[in-house]
Amino acid sequence: MSASKATAANRFGLGAKPGELEGSGDGREILLAQLREPPPLDEFHGLPSSAVTMTREYEQLSAARAGRVKAAPAAMGDNASMPQMSGGDAMAPVQPAGQAVDVDQAGERADQMRRELRRRQLDEFAARYRHASRTDRPFVERLTQFWSNHFAVSIDKGDTRLYAAAMEREAIRPHVLGRFEDMLLAVESHPAMLRYLDNSISIGNDSAAAQRAELMRRERRGLNENLAREILELHTLGVDGGYRQDDVLELARAITGWSTFNSREAKAAGERIPDNAFTFRKASHEPGERQVLGRRYAEGGVEQGRAVLADLAKHPSTAHHLSFKLARHFVADQPPPALVKRMAQAYLSHDGDLRALYRALVESQESWADSARKFKTPNDFVVSALRAGELPVGNDARALINLLSSLGQPVFTPRSPAGFPDTAADWSSPDGLWKRIQAAQMLAARIDPKASAPYQCAVSVLGNAAVEGDFAIGLRRAGSLRDGYALLFASPAFQWRI
Amino acid sequence: MDSQRRGLLAAFGASALLTLFPNASRAAGDDADTRFLLVLLRGGLDGLHLLPPYADPVYAALRGAGAVADPIRIDAMFGLHPAMQQTAAMYRDKQLLPIVAIAPPYRARSHFDAQDCLENGTARPNGARDGWLGRCVQALPSEAGFAVAAVMPLALRGSERTSNWWPPLPKGVDPLLLQQLQPLYAADARLSETFEQSTRSAALAREGKGAFALPEAMRVAAERMSAAGGPRIGFVEDTGWDSHRNQAPQLARKLAELDRGLAAAREGFGSAWPRTVVAVVTEFGRTAAINGTGGTDHGTGGMALLCGGAVRGGRIGGDWPGLGAAQLNEGRDLRATSDLRSLFKGIAIEHLGLAEGVLEKRVFPDSRGISPLAGWRVG
Repeated sequence: MSASKATAANRFGLGAKPGELEGSGDGREILLAQLREPPPLDEFHGLPSSAVTMTREYEQLSAARAGRVKAAPAAMGDNASMPQMSGGDAMAPVQPAGQAVDVDQAGERADQMRRELRRRQLDEFAARYRHASRTDRPFVERLTQFWSNHFAVSIDKGDTRLYAAAMEREAIRPHVLGRFEDMLLAVESHPAMLRYLDNSISIGNDSAAAQRAELMRRERRGLNENLAREILELHTLGVDGGYRQDDVLELARAITGWSTFNSREAKAAGERIPDNAFTFRKASHEPGERQVLGRRYAEGGVEQGRAVLADLAKHPSTAHHLSFKLARHFVADQPPPALVKRMAQAYLSHDGDLRALYRALVESQESWADSARKFKTPNDFVVSALRAGELPVGNDARALINLLSSLGQPVFTPRSPAGFPDTAADWSSPDGLWKRIQAAQMLAARIDPKASAPYQCAVSVLGNAAVEGDFAIGLRRAGSLRDGYALLFASPAFQWRI
Repeated sequence: MDSQRRGLLAAFGASALLTLFPNASRAAGDDADTRFLLVLLRGGLDGLHLLPPYADPVYAALRGAGAVADPIRIDAMFGLHPAMQQTAAMYRDKQLLPIVAIAPPYRARSHFDAQDCLENGTARPNGARDGWLGRCVQALPSEAGFAVAAVMPLALRGSERTSNWWPPLPKGVDPLLLQQLQPLYAADARLSETFEQSTRSAALAREGKGAFALPEAMRVAAERMSAAGGPRIGFVEDTGWDSHRNQAPQLARKLAELDRGLAAAREGFGSAWPRTVVAVVTEFGRTAAINGTGGTDHGTGGMALLCGGAVRGGRIGGDWPGLGAAQLNEGRDLRATSDLRSLFKGIAIEHLGLAEGVLEKRVFPDSRGISPLAGWRVG
């Protein structure tokens, strides 16, 4: 089976940039070369760590309280707002209000800080799309966004909002060409995930914190099994991976205490902002031995949960689950079972090394089959148009973010820990297609007047074979650059990854 | 039989005969012009919060401070959440029939699998590639289905006579571009029909302002469906019902939306309301007890609301299994005593006029043992 460069760029990449298909070379080799070393990430330099963001968030909340200013919605997409309460902060004391003038000043300051946090978040989104539209390792970027969606965090949950994009940068990018176990550990201890799935406030029923609360007759918080369930169901074994409700509970107990620093701790730290927002709260940890999937784990504080996750990463069900999802993402909605099996074997025989898994994908015949095809998600449709049309993302991604919302795939908002769906049936509705045609016109309206002719562009990003017949005639005869690019972006050839 | 057993299955068991002659009780000509709107609340609504069994002493003990303090008492046992004033009025008008302890056949605790089952109409996740509403549309000779959703939901897949709609992008489309695209899509076997439908549905452009939430979605569905010859089967979905922590304010807000949504649907259906059934369902229930963080976790028995002029409401339906420790499923959540498919089958037969054989063969495969719910409909 031939491995064409066009297939490498469209099926495994983010859609070609003009020039990407030029020169000789085998598609397979091009992809394997991209896996050899991580891509430069210049676009992301200077973005704050989650620990810094969290410190700023607490300062903002404290200023807002002082000013008795109710944090107003910060237009993010249509109706999202900044967090007003954060998981780790629920117990923070409320500051008494001062004089009227002070209140006004504090309110103004809170407002300013809120806008600053909002601006940082937009910077992060812009960096993500600048990188995707420019990178010359598009296969690695596809993989990164795949894992980001595998470990989905939805920013419609308020206290997750500022951390989802940071999680992709801090927990996924460093491990995308490494071992799955390391990525899993980094994700499950990241503030975005700990807050999204409520683990940051989960407390063991027999923990010191629970006993103290009882003694002081304070409202007693307790165990929350949300993160543990999704680790098993979505992140590792898969829903049919062979775990039971007891395993969920035991894993939930093993990771009690996995949390983030709170506002009091942030204040106490003063200028010394911690490197990492993760905090292990020994007092919240459920003491004792745990048993997950029949294996016993001795009490060991934070190490207990880590040991369970390490074993989950090595589990054959995990190997199958990850392989199936990757094959479905790149090859076909119903991936060939033989391909999935080969990938899972590669994963297991290389100790969970993700590069071995990707190599098995790229080297398999099935991955290059003519029949293999995927319908682009709205996100990939937009990114491939940015690349094909060499459209600049610039520093303000607001228009882009609004466009993705309208297309039904708002940035970091899958609204469910299962992430955005990944089959043609999920994205190819009549209404969805209509909005793509509208979006094609909007994107084409931004084409640089000096861009190459639509026909040339189409050939350079889709390859000769895909540009023929009525399509070629329409592109050649286009009345304007804008009309031609709209036809290219709206065409069926541009909706498929072939 | 359990002394707590109550509701439709017991009271109307004798009328199961009716289902052999689904159209016998209705005036001729009436049965072809009914409307059915399914509202799916994704995330697992806490039915014990929407419909608190306030008179059950175990309820207060299980919920503590998380119990609904001032329910609208509609029954000696059950009340509606206080955010549901208009819904309560429909109950008094005998147009609302809550059904307790009902769930899809799926018995584990994954949202996604449970929703998949509810929509695919089988007893297994991935049990079908299309949805039971889509198969209903297919089984009806010329009727259409309609979803208010950005993406065609699984429930309505399976027929070419379905369409979906969501507020559009503000800009129109150049007719010349459409003309050029037409032959390209006509040549694409997998997208040709989609393209044809997309150009047809574009005429529905709506002046969208502000957030588009459940009440607006239900109004749009109702208005679209109420037209003469409009789609008889509709689908609306909503997210945000997963309430693991501090659920009281979250659910108060969401239930108020649902309340406005039901009122908007009644208005939107207008003169078609007497011929309409709206079913509000969710993929499963939640734990009976409040959890350590003021919320509830995934449980089994949920609830459903039937609403509309064609519904014989003003009473509580379903089998209430009780909340005692021994009555709970796995000691933690309300036991499901009826299968959502029995409700759906009842609606498909009595309201949409589908034959029972077609239902068992095509719409709900392997459901022979699941009797259609009977006696819930007016007339």
